[in-house]
Amino acid sequence: MTAQPDALPPAPADVSLGIGKLIVPSLIGGLVALTLGVYGRLHHATGVVVNVAGFTSAGYVKSWLATVATVFAIVQVSSALVMYGKIPRVTAPSWIGRLHQWSGRIAFLLAVPVAVNCLYGLGFQTYSTRVLIHSLLGCAFFGAFAVKMLILPKRGLPGWTLPLAGAVVFTVLIGLWFTSAFWFFSTFGLHR
Amino acid sequence: MKPTMPLVTLLAGAALGVGVLVASMLSPSSTASASGYGATSAASATKAVKPAAASSASATAPATAPGTVPATAPGTVPATAPGTVPTATASVPKADVPPKADYVARTDSGGAAVAISVHAGKAVAYMCNGHAVAAWLKGTAKAGKLELTGKNGARLDVSYRTGKATGSIMADGTKYAFSAPLVHRGSSGHRPPGLYEATAMVHGVKIKAGWVVLPGGSQVGSVEYFADADVAPTAQAPVLDLTTGTARYDGVTLVASLISGFTGSGF
Repeated sequence: MTAQPDALPPAPADVSLGIGKLIVPSLIGGLVALTLGVYGRLHHATGVVVNVAGFTSAGYVKSWLATVATVFAIVQVSSALVMYGKIPRVTAPSWIGRLHQWSGRIAFLLAVPVAVNCLYGLGFQTYSTRVLIHSLLGCAFFGAFAVKMLILPKRGLPGWTLPLAGAVVFTVLIGLWFTSAFWFFSTFGLHR
Repeated sequence: MKPTMPLVTLLAGAALGVGVLVASMLSPSSTASASGYGATSAASATKAVKPAAASSASATAPATAPGTVPATAPGTVPATAPGTVPTATASVPKADVPPKADYVARTDSGGAAVAISVHAGKAVAYMCNGHAVAAWLKGTAKAGKLELTGKNGARLDVSYRTGKATGSIMADGTKYAFSAPLVHRGSSGHRPPGLYEATAMVHGVKIKAGWVVLPGGSQVGSVEYFADADVAPTAQAPVLDLTTGTARYDGVTLVASLISGFTGSGF
């Protein structure tokens, strides 16, 4: 899978070669998003997700996990801005790379159980605008994340690809948070 | 960074996802309720029958007692319910407490509406705000007082008389006060004011809609998705057509039935 783009015929000094390397990751990402959406639509949603002790309901577990994931995602984007020198008068410390990687990994791993509970317990639903947007963004998030992870090790890509992929992943996550945890807390109250 | 690390991250996430999915599937709570959606589900059906049978055995005694005993044989009342009835006779004249009644009203605040139906010692209530808040409650009616409970701590405390029912309802952590007049049955061709419910399967999801139809024809309705779930996501209900008693929702026709303490329908 990862070797495939390298097997493309070399076309020196051609920007389209770099963009060509995006094709396979983009297809895989699209497939991930589509698979999640189709599963969420076809799977017979149970309506119940596993609750965790100490929380009022599974909705609160998910909302808090999503909120913590979003906080790590903000750290991720902030560290990226520092790494790219976009924050004036802040020079990147030596550990910024690790901070960037680990905040991203933690955010992703926190989001996974939330997504599984959503897809297994609730499914891909369309009964209100909020729910439709959330369902679409949820599937898109993991597709976009897969794309970002797959293009990350590739060399020779145009410089804008990684920031763009990161920005899309982050924006989608923020949209997810507003259509779920923010809505949940503002409807049912901010507690555990 | 090694070039394989992002791939490892992805695969770790996928593995975690599969793990959580398997845990969800094996979890007893989710399998029990998962079977609760089909009409043919045996596991949840027997589960539901057991408490129902147990409670109906205990409920038949109070259900018949308040309705029939005071009218025919007042002497037996202290024998069947010595604790509650004497206090009731002390505070409330019996004639003031109707054995069958329906009440509807908007709540004093919060834009919600509530409907209460009392029939032969049992009571059903529904409240919703036309959006995210909806609660079905049930319980027993005793001596002009209702203490009904529903999912997620929903609770209704009301005293009711021939003219009106006053009290409060607690739903989703908010307390709504109200004073609901008795519903008088109209003789027009329209559906009367009162409490309407409809259940349906929409795209594989069991939904339960409830409408409080107020005197004058205005209505407040909410739809609960995954109606059997502990926390059912709730949204605005489609408008209930009061001439046909139906509503169209996401391509499905919902046929509403009236829950009435006055006629006993829905009890």
